[in-house]
Amino acid sequence: MSGALGVIALLALLAGGVPIGVAMGLVGLVGMALLLGPEPALIKSSVVFFETVTRFELGVLPLFLLMAHLCFAAGASRDFFSAAASVVGHRRGGMALATIAGCAGFGAVSGSSLATAATMGQIGLPEMRRRGYSTAFAAGAVAAGGTLGSLTPPSGALIVFGIIAEQSIGRLFTAAIVPVLTQALLYMAAIVIVCRIRPGIAPPSERLSWRERGAAILRVLDLAALVAVVLVGIAVGWFTPTEAASIGATLALVLCAVRKRLTWNSFCEALALTLKTSGMLYVVIIGALVFAAFMSFTGLAAQIASLVHGMNSGPVATIIMIAILLLLLGSVLDGLALMLLTAPILLPITAALGISPIWFGIFFVRTMEIGFVHPPIGINLYVMHSIAPDIPIGRVFKGVLPFLAADFLHLALLIAIPGMALALPRWLE
Amino acid sequence: MDPVNDPQVPRRGLLFYVGSAGLLCVMVVEAAAVLGRHVGMPVMGALEIVQVAIVPAACAGMLIATLRNAHAAVHLLTERLPTAAGRWLERSAGVLAGVFFAAMCGGGAWLAAEYWNTYEQSEVLHIPFRPLRLLVALTGAALAVLSVRRAFRSGRGA
Repeated sequence: MSGALGVIALLALLAGGVPIGVAMGLVGLVGMALLLGPEPALIKSSVVFFETVTRFELGVLPLFLLMAHLCFAAGASRDFFSAAASVVGHRRGGMALATIAGCAGFGAVSGSSLATAATMGQIGLPEMRRRGYSTAFAAGAVAAGGTLGSLTPPSGALIVFGIIAEQSIGRLFTAAIVPVLTQALLYMAAIVIVCRIRPGIAPPSERLSWRERGAAILRVLDLAALVAVVLVGIAVGWFTPTEAASIGATLALVLCAVRKRLTWNSFCEALALTLKTSGMLYVVIIGALVFAAFMSFTGLAAQIASLVHGMNSGPVATIIMIAILLLLLGSVLDGLALMLLTAPILLPITAALGISPIWFGIFFVRTMEIGFVHPPIGINLYVMHSIAPDIPIGRVFKGVLPFLAADFLHLALLIAIPGMALALPRWLE
Repeated sequence: MDPVNDPQVPRRGLLFYVGSAGLLCVMVVEAAAVLGRHVGMPVMGALEIVQVAIVPAACAGMLIATLRNAHAAVHLLTERLPTAAGRWLERSAGVLAGVFFAAMCGGGAWLAAEYWNTYEQSEVLHIPFRPLRLLVALTGAALAVLSVRRAFRSGRGA
């Protein structure tokens, strides 16, 4: 009962515009004060506050953010897009394919859906419009492609999930690789199919010479090497995720200098943005951990788990119900709020069903990603609308529909074949 | 993009320099630790240095995010409300944030007082934890003050 009241209070505070971290922390603190007394509640919350701020593993967040900002300063987004556009841009729908590939590449250095959609939107969208693409299709491709940023390691969402669920961030990163690749392939398949059905929406354009293509590909080799070092290093155990983030940020700094993009201003800007975003994330994580502590005292998750167990519905049916719940909540809550609110409740339920927490993390972020592009919130759709205000939001919604179909198919595949996420980490171990 | 005039980029001040120093220290020490481990010259106590250096970075980051009103929030409802109601909710959110951070400060100070005479320190480099506990409690206090101040300023200035 107290757990359910806590969730209702949290939803009310979130709806009232209270910052997510503060709302979760406050509900957790007050809830624990009511359950255990003010003194234990205050001590428990303050211990969480201190331990979170002094936790060295959390250094992974600001360092990967710094790497992303430095890569952005080095021109990563434009170079990834140009390389992909030089290879497939001349084909029908080729610029949309290039956008998806560019999003996957940039997602590997940004780790954020919003950043990927906003950045690639400023590059890919004008380019597609210039070449006569349908505005709905172009905006839909960038909005959907942006979601790749959430799952592509090193992903901010996976780092937060790893911290909340106390799971290995390195294993989560490795588990995300195959789902990200298959997601990008399904988006590309959606583009090819839509262009077959309606060839007029994405006309072919001029083909670049092999020399120009080679030059464009050469320009991203250093960035690709940076991403490869970070991901391979984590996967094969050369270094921990925190160390990988340090190596990534250091290499990104070197890369910026080699590319002659490292100015005092760009360096300070990268640091300032990193501090601001990580400060925001720290507050959210502290709040989520206080809320999770409260939830564990209420026993709400255990009650729901026993209820689900009593239904004898089996893991697959439960996961489908969870997916529906997440999609419904994802249409009114943003991704971070959704994860922090539901993960502490859902994790014990899935654990009781014998579902791997690593697989659940990938499934969770994948479902959360769909929330970025499905109405009525679909934040990536609004990002597209803000980049190109002359494209009505209704057309952006329409443009994303083929990609949403690909998303649902991908989610179904992930549920039907858990090995998509679990095979690679197991094989590497 | 001009970082000096871009409202999304925090201005450079003490918080920026303290936070950046912490962040860069973490970056350099971790990278050196990896390199050292692979060439057979491990950096002793690297984790402890990282643990200490991350604190000013995290504290400065939280303060910068609060100063810039950059905390993640859901605006689905508040954006659709009449201006007066929206302002009231914004002010209430600021006060609630102040209450939460004040509680963190109070609890942090309490714990700091409890551990003050136990001479808490790290195992390898013997770095004392007292300053860290003090810094975290002070950050809680500063976050509380900034949140409440912003709440009343936004209400008055809007």
